[in-house]
Amino acid sequence: MDAEATKYLGAAISIGVGAIGPGIGIGLLAGKAMEAIGRNPEATGPVQQNMILGLAFAEAIAIYALVIAIIILFV
Amino acid sequence: MGKLFSSPKLLAIAIGVVAMLLISVAGGALGASFGFGWLGGPIPFISVPAERVAYIGSYPLLNSTVMFWFGGLILIFVAWRATRKMSDVPSGLQNLFEVIYEFFGNTVDGAAGGTAKAGRRFLALVSTIFLVVVIINWVGILPGVGSVGRIETIEEWVHHHLPKTEAKVQEKHPEYTPVQTEAAALVHLLEEHGEDTFVAFDGSIVPLGRGEQARVPLNKIVTFSESGLHQIEEAIHHGDDLDALPVLDSIHSDIKKGVVQGEFVYKGQDFKGKTVGLLVPFLRGASTDINTTLAIALVAMFTVQVWGIRALGVRGYGGKFFVNPISQGPIATFVGILEGFGELTRTLSFTFRLFGNMFAGEILLIAMAFLLPLIGIIPFMGLELFVGLIQGYIFAMLTLVFGVMAVASHGDHDSHAEDH
Repeated sequence: MDAEATKYLGAAISIGVGAIGPGIGIGLLAGKAMEAIGRNPEATGPVQQNMILGLAFAEAIAIYALVIAIIILFV
Repeated sequence: MGKLFSSPKLLAIAIGVVAMLLISVAGGALGASFGFGWLGGPIPFISVPAERVAYIGSYPLLNSTVMFWFGGLILIFVAWRATRKMSDVPSGLQNLFEVIYEFFGNTVDGAAGGTAKAGRRFLALVSTIFLVVVIINWVGILPGVGSVGRIETIEEWVHHHLPKTEAKVQEKHPEYTPVQTEAAALVHLLEEHGEDTFVAFDGSIVPLGRGEQARVPLNKIVTFSESGLHQIEEAIHHGDDLDALPVLDSIHSDIKKGVVQGEFVYKGQDFKGKTVGLLVPFLRGASTDINTTLAIALVAMFTVQVWGIRALGVRGYGGKFFVNPISQGPIATFVGILEGFGELTRTLSFTFRLFGNMFAGEILLIAMAFLLPLIGIIPFMGLELFVGLIQGYIFAMLTLVFGVMAVASHGDHDSHAEDH
């Protein structure tokens, strides 16, 4: 396989596999937040704000994978 | 459906939308492969580092720096307008700023332990980070950012790519003179990038051709052949005088001219003699540049350390990272070292979170504008607005959380009070 093809493959695998974990994590997080809101609708404000905070950490991992893919492709 | 056909205004709007959709699909990249594609252009050249637009003395001014200053100016102007004639019952712009201030005031107080005295030290930086990041994100998706620019000619392109190749040649053959190194690097560059395509422009404004077909490979711009390159390599090997080599001369002059030399005809349109190059945009969103996001992250993490030292003193705060193994046990020392690394990784995490989100958004907008020219970009603009706001909020909130963690003394384990 020549270098160009390996580059494309590397970038694709990087973001493809790298998005699995954060996807599952964000799904679990949002699910639990929905459950909490359902059990106690009055606490929607704090639950929502803390969910967004947790979302940031989980999504950042996917962004790392994306940055690596971009670096492989364009640099 | 009955209602749709009965009301003429609704019907007209529906027909207009469907017509726009068909025009975009036929005019875009899909249409270009069938022979339509009158709206399409070539996919722009995406570069991770920001590009230079001007030189102040010898300092290269990047296009993202210009947008950062522009965003700052907008923020200052809006803040000035909002606080000109303050009234007790706020309205309009003053009301908006009061909402933001009150929201962050309450959040900061709540996170820091419930009292205003504990929280107010965080408020200035947190709300500033929020406002700055949101404004530069939103200003970065205005029309014209990333799509209007100047053409980087072949000469400049070669000028940019030669040093890397020259360094590689220098490693393999340290005995070459500078002229020989340059010639060898040029040969290497042409061999490797002979199939690279550049956009052909009509005059200096409009790309020629349809969609991706407006691109011309390098070997049609700079005429060279296998034997010609071989000649140059032989001359370098034998140490001949390279200035007397006509092949090298013609390559240099071709690069200077930067027009299509060889035969390149597309759909009856002859490209010979047209300028080629790549588009370097004048403006680029500030947060799509790693330098900007790194700067904001460094400011945030540095201030977190300052808050920690102010609250706990140098010994108290340093005691979190440098733990005495004899009195606390070796595991606590190891945990302290890990905390130190944690501070560094948080800086990098801040940087890449904001950069990744914004740069990926820009690539997404470019790709959608390329695929569906008129309407494809509309839903993604909405997404970009939302993501810009959320990323600003996240940056500010995480700075607050790290600040609260930094000022919490070691024995204080329940430092989060519930807000309302």
